[in-house]
This record gives sequence, C-alpha cells and structure tokens, in this order.
Amino acid sequence: MIIQQGAVTASARIGDLGTVLGVSAPGIAAQARAGQFVHVRPGTSFEPLLRRPYSFNRIRRQEGEIELIVRPLGPGGEWIASRRPGDLLDLLGPLGTAFVIHRSARNLLLVAGGTGIAPMRVLAEQEASRRNVTLLMGGRSVAYLWPSDRLPPSVEYVTTTEDGSFGIGGRVTEALPELLRWADQLCACGPWPMLAAIGRMREEAERAPAAPGRAALLEAQIAVEQHMGCAMGVCRACVVVTSQGNARVCREGPVFPLGDVAFAEGEPATVGLVS
Amino acid sequence: MPWRRPRKKVERPIEVTRSIEESLEDAAAGEEEEDSVDLAGLDDATVVEAATGEPEPERGASDLALKLRETLAREPAPARARPRATTYPESGVDLAVDAARGLRLRNPVLTASGTFGQGIEYAELIDVARLGAIVNKGTTPNMRPGNPQYRIAETPSGILNSIGLENPGAVEVARRYGVQWAALGVPVIVNVAGYSVEDYVYVVSEMAGTPGVVAYELNVSCPNVKDGMIFGSDPSLAAELTRAVKAETDLPVIVKLTPNAPDVVAVARACEEAGADGVTAINTVLGMRIDTRRRRPILGTGSGGLSGPAIRPIAVHITYQVAQAVGIPIMGAGGVTSAEDALEFLMAGASAVQVGTATFADPLVPLKVIEGLAAYVREHGLRSIREIVGTALPRMVE
Ligand SMILES: Cc1cc2nc3c(=O)[nH]c(=O)nc-3n(C[C@H](O)[C@H](O)[C@H](O)COP(=O)(O)OP(=O)(O)OC[C@H]3O[C@@H](n4cnc5c(N)ncnc54)[C@H](O)[C@@H]3O)c2cc1C
Ligand SMILES: Cc1cc2nc3c(=O)[nH]c(=O)nc-3n(C[C@H](O)[C@H](O)[C@H](O)COP(=O)(O)O)c2cc1C
Ligand code: FES
Repeated sequence: MIIQQGAVTASARIGDLGTVLGVSAPGIAAQARAGQFVHVRPGTSFEPLLRRPYSFNRIRRQEGEIELIVRPLGPGGEWIASRRPGDLLDLLGPLGTAFVIHRSARNLLLVAGGTGIAPMRVLAEQEASRRNVTLLMGGRSVAYLWPSDRLPPSVEYVTTTEDGSFGIGGRVTEALPELLRWADQLCACGPWPMLAAIGRMREEAERAPAAPGRAALLEAQIAVEQHMGCAMGVCRACVVVTSQGNARVCREGPVFPLGDVAFAEGEPATVGLVS
Repeated sequence: MPWRRPRKKVERPIEVTRSIEESLEDAAAGEEEEDSVDLAGLDDATVVEAATGEPEPERGASDLALKLRETLAREPAPARARPRATTYPESGVDLAVDAARGLRLRNPVLTASGTFGQGIEYAELIDVARLGAIVNKGTTPNMRPGNPQYRIAETPSGILNSIGLENPGAVEVARRYGVQWAALGVPVIVNVAGYSVEDYVYVVSEMAGTPGVVAYELNVSCPNVKDGMIFGSDPSLAAELTRAVKAETDLPVIVKLTPNAPDVVAVARACEEAGADGVTAINTVLGMRIDTRRRRPILGTGSGGLSGPAIRPIAVHITYQVAQAVGIPIMGAGGVTSAEDALEFLMAGASAVQVGTATFADPLVPLKVIEGLAAYVREHGLRSIREIVGTALPRMVE
C-alpha cells in the first residue's frame, strides 16, 4: 500500500453509469487485486475533506495502469470524474481484501449492479482464459449497463434492465436461479439490497438438488460499500456487522464471504448502542 | 502477477537528508521488490512494448497522456540501497518541547486520538518514529462495539463523527499493542475514557507498565453515569477525576478539554489545581447533519463530533484563552493541516499540536508539519521552536 500521484491517461463516459478513468500508477497497479480499492483525494485542498473509495475496474500491470469507474454522486465524485488526461490524482492504495477464485472452480458466476461492475470486470479479464465465466449485470435501463465490447469475448454476458430496454426485464434476481444452479463459485458487487437478495437466493439454491455434473457451490463472495474516513483501519467509521462481530470494510473487507455479512431488511445491519 | 522492469544496478551515494517524497519512493520501491516477479528474462524491447501498449481507439488517450504513460512506465523506480536514514529535514533543529509537565518530546507534533488508531496502522505508510508522540484510540475498561451506522458525515471543511469509542478494552489494548508500541520508536500517550471516575482509574491501572506508554490523556467528553453530567463540562467533576487519576499513576496526566463546556477556562483552571500536568485543547465540537431525503439525521446517533479545519478558529481561540489562565503546557488540536496552522496554535500559547482529521485526507500531514516547523525555525534564525510559544498572547503587565 502506497500513496502515489497517478497521471490520468484517458477518460470516457460510460452511458449513465459513470466515467472510466485510466490512471498511470505503476506502484499501485503492481500490487492491485480484484476487489481491492484506492482511496482518492477529491482535490488538493481540504474541501471536500474526505478521500473517496473506488474499486479497481481494470488492472494492467504490464502497462502500470489502473482504471476506475466513477459515478459522480456529489462534489468529490464530480471532481474526480472530471479529471482530464494529464491531470494528477492522489491515490492511496491498494486497500482492503480481494476476491479469491478457487483453483478448481469451473463455472464462475459474476454478478454486478451499477458501479459494482468495477471488480467484476477485473475478475472477468483475469479469469476468462482459466474457466467458464458468466457475468450477470443488472441496471435501471440499457444506459446503466456495462458495454459488452469492454469485456473479454469468451465471457458470457447476461443482462437485465428494470425498464426492459435491454436483455431480460426486471432485476438480476430474475436470471439468478438458473445461473446459481450452474455456478460453482459466485462473486458479486452492487447495492446492498441486491447483495441481500443474492444471499437469500443462494440459500434457496443450496437447498435445491444440484444440476447433474455440478459440484456444490464452492464459494460465494461479495464486496460491500460503507462510508469511510481513513480507509487505513484506524477510525472505525466503516464497520459492518458480520458473523465475527464488527468488521472494517476498509481492512477485513470490502470482500467478505456472502453468508458472513449481516443484512437487516436489505440494508447493512448496524451495531447496537451500548453505553 | 506483479512485475518489475529489468534494471541495471545503480550505484548511488547514501543520502543524508530524505524528504517525504523520497521516503515514499522508497516505500513504493520496497513494496514492489517484496512481491514482484523479476522479468529479467524478457528482453527490453518486449517489456517496453508491453509497458506502453497501443491506446485503445475508443478510449481516445491524448498524445500528452500517452507520453506521460510512456515516461512513467519507462522510468524504473531508482534502485536504492535502503539504509535507514539517520537524518531528516528536521534534523539538527531544536524542536523539542514539553508537551506536558514531565513530558519532553523531540518535536511538537502528535497525532490525535481516534485518528491514528494504535499507531501501527499508519506505520505501513509513514515513518511514525519521526513524530513527537502518538495518542492512541480512546480506551475504556471493557470492549465497546461502538455506535450504529452512519458513523461519519462530511461537512464544510470538516467531518462529523460518532464512532462510539469502539475499542477492545484496556486489558486487550495493553496485551495486543504494548510490545508493538515499544518497537514503534515513538512515545505513546494512552487516551482514557469512561463513564465513572472508577472507569478512568481502572484503565490507568490496567495500562500501568505497558511498554511505550509515556502519559495519559483523559477524554472527558463522556457523560458520568451518576448524573449524566459530562466530566469535562463541570470544573469540580473534572478536578475530582484528575485527582483520582493522578493518585493512581506517576506518569503525566493530561486533560483533554471539551469545547462544549459552558466555561472551558474554568475547567482548565480546576484541572491544573487538581494536579493535571497539561491540557489538550480541544476535543470535537457537537454538531449534526440532516439527510433531507430521508428526513432524519445522517449519523446513527443523531449528533456527533465536528472536527477538521472547520473548528480550527474555535480551537485556537480556546487555546489562547486557556493559555492566559493556566501555567501548565497546552497541546492544541483542531483542524491542523499545515505548519502554518500549527504555528497559529503555538503562537496562541500551545506547546505542541495534535494532527487529527487532516491525516485522513493526507497521511503525510503530520510529517509535513514537522518539516515545515523546522524550516520556520531555520528561516527565522530561532534557537528553538519554544521561542515562538505564546508570542501572540497579550503582553503581561509587569
Ligand atoms: C470499497 C468501495 C468501493 C467503491 N467502488 C466504487 C466504484 O468503483 N465506482 C463508484 O462510482 N463508486 C464506488 N464506491 C462508492 C463511492 O465511494 C461513492 O460513490 C463516493 O464516495 C461518493 O462520493 P461523492 O462525493 O460523489 O458523493 P457525496 O454524496 O458527496 O459523498 C459524501 C460522503 O459520503 C460518502 N459516500 C457516499 N456514498 C457512498 C458509498 N456508496 N460508499 C461509500 N461512501 C459513500 C463519501 O465518500 C463522502 O464521504 C465504492 C465504495 C466503497 C466503500
Ligand atoms: C474519527 C474520530 C475519532 C475520534 N476519537 C477520539 C477519541 O477516542 N478520544 C478523544 O479524546 N478524541 C477523539 N477524537 C477527537 C480528536 O482527537 C481531536 O481532538 C479532534 O478531532 C480535533 O482535531 P482535528 O480537527 O485535527 O481532527 C476523534 C476524532 C475523530 C475525527
Ligand atoms: S475507514 Fe477508517 S477504519 Fe475503515
């Protein structure tokens, strides 16, 4: 983990999903893994004050370059997303835990919602030549889907849109049951309600008889988001409740085993007040 | 797989002065070396080709960007022997201060409680041994799971936090971190919190003899379970607490003032009379933000503590007032982001400063403040940083 001034090399709007920035940051690219993130300073002053966490959307070690997809939610995201080639970005990373793909996984299912595509794209590029990979992505409309020409051709791409403008109408949960029967490893990243729904469906799938020739679902991992301060593990702003008690999304996460994270009605569960 | 460009060994003179930038380069080079795979087998042409690559047409990288990428990729990090540097920009400058009675530190820059964990986390990123001291996360008698989410919210030039003193409890803190503190090479001040006088005394007794610990700082922003009164808002309660803790330990005891007290100067005075060896000014200022979409406060607990540059003028003002009322040393805290900010506190009467929230934005701030203060002493031909302490205070009439 280092601090590095990365130089923006490219910028492209991806529909209504966000802006993809290419950033030359060899020190960070050399260490980065899928699921990890960088804490990006949104300016050079203390207004806005906090860095913003963004997952790696692409890791190109040879080129010493990373890509981020940035949705401009507020002032920090807007500043970062509006950087142009040649501009510098103050990056702290790589931070947090990474997805671990089981060696023997044959059928890898990746599920993405919104900018949760970021680590799923890294996994798709990393795993496409090693096993069968299916990426399931859901969005409000076609404008919120990841463009298929930015995926390895061998990756099967299944999409759902809430307005039915592309692919299967509805949410990712429409397409999930069948894919869950096929997969022997699952990785997902997206909004909390989506992750909570996947958790419920996976439990159901586990109870159902396995498809012929399919091993039991080996492993299911999710990457979660939480508001952060330091991202260095010191402030404890970013905790989520897990089966092991409070866990920091910036250290023990953002990648957790699916069953470990406690959800409360589709929201992250919060700890009780003790005084 | 991480990679490293093949490179010739470069003989370099051992440098005597390292700036922050150089330390960072080292850190980058060091980390790279740790887990990199040597691609020495590849010939240079292949590697350069791979490193520069072809721009993907749809991404439209500009010429400038390509050039940048090319230089960044071509320039291998300098191969550096890594003898631990013995001198820094601040070396040879007298920055030593008494941060409290009986607590001489090599320089006046500390990291504030709750913003630097147990000191070991940021040690991965910066050389913490260059700091004057670190203050650990508020330590309570027993483990506390902390408050419900959200625990943090950004505000203009600041943040609100409501962490809820999440910590593993005094026994665990001493057991887990004592040995690591001794190895950090930086003095540790234990920040003590509790909900009764006995709580504070218990924490101090449990921490006794822990390696690395040089003093205690009492977080008196907590309510006393007896009457719900905040310890730091009532002079007699704060004094009672100070006396009880002083009786338990021989180490310096510092009281961390809360700006939410009706009369913070009276509290400081009472603590001095009760034997406090120093005061820290200030803890966070109460505040709130509302989520207008959900029509309720953003923080899980409703209100929280405001910190960062937003509170600096409040903190400087309290420092200035307290400095005129007490004789014990003061540590200034509240929105320090630069040496210039630190100088404000020192001139207002603080002997040292604590850097908190700014570290989240830029982890190098504490070291930059040290370097900046050293430069100030040099530029102004001072014998020591102590010469500027209190220089902005009204002159005492003889
Ligand atoms: C591990 C991790 C990975 C992420 N990866 C991506 C990504 O690849 N692409 C992407 O577009 N977004 C990602 N996010 C969310 C991103 O961090 C927020 O969108 C961003 O911080 C919002 O900042 P803003 O200035 O645009 O919005 P504002 O609303 O102004 O933000 C105000 C404050 O709230 C925090 N905040 C608001 N929403 C979130 C959120 N969802 N998660 C964490 N903090 C939040 C901000 O950091 C800031 O401190 C990730 C979050 C985490 C924790
Ligand atoms: C996330 C966070 C946690 C904090 N935790 C503590 C604590 O445990 N004990 C304490 O005395 N002060 C705590 N503080 C207050 C700081 O130590 C400091 O007094 C205050 O933030 C003002 O300084 P700053 O503006 O430089 O951050 C905390 C502050 C922040 C931002
Ligand atoms: S953001 Fe500070 S502990 Fe995770």
